[in-house]
Amino acid sequence: MSDTNQLLEEITGSEYKYGWTTNIDTETAPKGINAEVIRFISQKKNEPTWMLELRLKAFRHWLTLEEPRHWAKIQYPAINFNDIIYFAAPKPKKQLKNLNEVDPELLKTFEKLGISLEEQKRLSGVESSIAVDAVIDSVSVKTTFKEVLAEKGIIFCSFSEAVQEHPELVKEYMGSVVPYTDNFYAALNAAVFSDGSFCYVPKGVRCPMELSTYFRINSAGTGQFERTLIIADEGAYVSYLEGCTAPKRDENQLHAAVVEIVAHKNAEVKYSTVQNWYPGDKDGKGGIYNFVTKRGICIGNNSKISWTQVETGSAITWKYPSVILKGDNSIGEFYSVAVTNNLQQADTGTKMTHIGKNTRSTIVSKGISAGKSNNSYRGLVRINKGAHNARNFSQCDSLLMGDKCGAHTFPYIEIKDKSAIVEHEATTSKIGEDQLFYCNQRGIETEKAIGLIVNGYCKEVLNQLPMEFAVESQKLLAVSLEGSVG
Amino acid sequence: MNATVEKIKTGDKFAELFDRLHTQLPGNASIQSIRKNAIAAFLKQGIPTRKNEEYKYSLPEKLFKTNYSLATKLPSLQITADDSKTFDISGITQNKIVLINGFYSQQLSSVNNLTKGVIVSDISTSFEKHAAHIEKHFAKYANVDADPFIALNSALNANGLFIFVPENTVVEQPIHIINIITANELSLIQPRNLFIIEKNAEIKIIESLDAYKLSTNVVVNMVTEISVAEQSKVQYYKLQNDCEKIAQINTTQVYQLENSHFDTNTVTLNGDWVRNNLNIVVDAENCETHLNGLFISKNNQHIDNHTLVDHQKPNCQSNQLYKGVLSGKSTGVFNGKIYVRRDAQKINAYQSSKNILLSDDATINTKPELEIYADDVKCSHGSSTGQLNEDALFYLRARGLSTDSAKRMLLYAFASDAINTIRIDVLKEHIDKLIEKQLIQ
Repeated sequence: MSDTNQLLEEITGSEYKYGWTTNIDTETAPKGINAEVIRFISQKKNEPTWMLELRLKAFRHWLTLEEPRHWAKIQYPAINFNDIIYFAAPKPKKQLKNLNEVDPELLKTFEKLGISLEEQKRLSGVESSIAVDAVIDSVSVKTTFKEVLAEKGIIFCSFSEAVQEHPELVKEYMGSVVPYTDNFYAALNAAVFSDGSFCYVPKGVRCPMELSTYFRINSAGTGQFERTLIIADEGAYVSYLEGCTAPKRDENQLHAAVVEIVAHKNAEVKYSTVQNWYPGDKDGKGGIYNFVTKRGICIGNNSKISWTQVETGSAITWKYPSVILKGDNSIGEFYSVAVTNNLQQADTGTKMTHIGKNTRSTIVSKGISAGKSNNSYRGLVRINKGAHNARNFSQCDSLLMGDKCGAHTFPYIEIKDKSAIVEHEATTSKIGEDQLFYCNQRGIETEKAIGLIVNGYCKEVLNQLPMEFAVESQKLLAVSLEGSVG
Repeated sequence: MNATVEKIKTGDKFAELFDRLHTQLPGNASIQSIRKNAIAAFLKQGIPTRKNEEYKYSLPEKLFKTNYSLATKLPSLQITADDSKTFDISGITQNKIVLINGFYSQQLSSVNNLTKGVIVSDISTSFEKHAAHIEKHFAKYANVDADPFIALNSALNANGLFIFVPENTVVEQPIHIINIITANELSLIQPRNLFIIEKNAEIKIIESLDAYKLSTNVVVNMVTEISVAEQSKVQYYKLQNDCEKIAQINTTQVYQLENSHFDTNTVTLNGDWVRNNLNIVVDAENCETHLNGLFISKNNQHIDNHTLVDHQKPNCQSNQLYKGVLSGKSTGVFNGKIYVRRDAQKINAYQSSKNILLSDDATINTKPELEIYADDVKCSHGSSTGQLNEDALFYLRARGLSTDSAKRMLLYAFASDAINTIRIDVLKEHIDKLIEKQLIQ
């Protein structure tokens, strides 16, 4: 046991790979939050008045709310919302026409992150490529493959662009799933959101490539408040991926995003997240507070929304990607791997609200806690009256590595229809010594064996990820946990 | 004795009421200081609202909207021995304790053949008479800061039962505690019980709650503390039947020491608004804890089972199985929590909640929680809600059973899992009959 413990310490002490910063000229709003700052942001983005009105309305509502610090199983000092810079943008040279005009520093940044902003068409054709919307601090710097997608009628651009060019869509859908009144951070986001991605897939179109947004926090003292809106019209399909990293800093930075998904009749949206914000150092100094509201609505019959998330970063994760199953026969899925290490805290899960008939939802959540971290699953399955034949299956497993961490499960199950079948299972345990022994006996060293077992444990979730990201997240898991055992 | 009642309202009224009443309530200086401390804790917490996570699904606010009277003395109403016999469980009559609104009735009880050294008494006289035990155990387990109703009871309890089983003593015959609730005006009744089971002792307790000539609704806020010492074995059965007008908040606080066994079964077959808080603190190694529960609800009933098993030390086992059958517009709640403290390694803790909804207007809310801070543990919980298996129904129908009796048979089979753990045969039979009666309706 002692050498495995040692191994655990070695591994859990592993460094965060994306902790560097880029020197780019940025333009920032003054610190603090008030109507002036909101006007400043709105003006910077050259927004129409209705958008500004919306922001101010949200801001006024936000002022009446109290920071929700106590119900989740997370602990942190109160955030001083006036000590945050709400807008930071790399200084634009001029309007970008092609990649050559993007600040080379920025390009290098994304290259270093392994994100290619060059539209390299591989031999196998466009199909295998991924369209990327790259967001640094508060603005989107570049969206790739826009033209290819436009041919199919797919709109994929930054949120600010959508406000300018597709105001009717933004007006119709923004806030329809996550209204600004939803919660404290949703209100804050609606007031100060800076950018994000917007995606609209028209009727009957199957998006030919994976769409992806890459978020990067770069400037110090800033908060990132992006907003993503995905609309899949009747019969459309889109698979979407989100990735994120941030530099290492001693301060805690706030990230409060909102993601809204609307799936019309027969549409399917798959949303995958690999979250790797800076988690803070071994002593819990620094790191991102990731307070995110994500929700999708299956508004039409036979629609489907699937959330997959691999959560390895952030000092604190507070997010519950949810699905409202309004259309009959609609399907909601939630697959999650949440890894916490050192002093990280995660309180994450999902909400499945069954309203339509024959609605189905599946929840698979795998939590892994190491170091002195706390990892909680918190989920709600709600079967409304009239949601006949609703079906839910939830499975929440927790793996503990070391005796200083905690793993918790808080499922809420509310059923108001007699034809509903709802099952929930949860287990908490450590890596079985007999499993390890079995591997050791066959010549697999402990460290590798653990990687093997953890990967097997998370397989159900990782299998849901698009190919490219499945590989990435497997590596991520390996970095976080290789060799750890309690 | 005349019934003494005091009108109460919520909020600050309790403070006023306490100031006026506490000197009349039993207990010496140290009990009084417990009361003072408790009322402060209650006023700090107040009656739980929706914002109180623990009472999210069971809002007691509505119970306290009316002005209740606080029952502080034995009701004047006489209950004849014959009347009290209707509450007997056939086969368990040897050790019978009758409490009327929490007041021990000597003439209706029969506990003459108890083993030497076993004490059965009302708690108010025990405050003086058994001061040493009281000093050591009373209000030591039920934490007034953890729950406002524990606080309210600790502040204003008027009486209750005290049982003491000395070391190395086995009470062979089960003790049946009959809680008779009677009132002719809206009342808040707060019995307070303390059971002390010393080292290597054994006892089986059956507790039932029954209404007698109850013309109005009452709220019963009962707190029972049970200390289970080393090597001792306790079986504790709670039967909640015949309590249609009774809203009850029933808190059982158990404290277990090394190598002890605690088995409990809570059966709720009738009740207006029921909230059972069952909190077990396992503070030593090698303990075993079994919690089982069954509720069958109908009409507008609300039945909430709240359990907490707090594993503070390693090498223990706990097991929970709760089943519910809901019909009408009834609401059921199961909220179970397994807590494993840091370094409480090698814990096996299981929890399962299964429910069947029979009507479209019934609601079930479950919240099985795990909070684990030790890694070498095996903890799991499962919760499922569904309906009767169509195939099974068809099977029985194909063999000539009517739909009704087929359903009844399946429901009975479903329910019996939770009561099969009852180890007193006559009690099991008694409950079996009650369940059958319920299912026929």
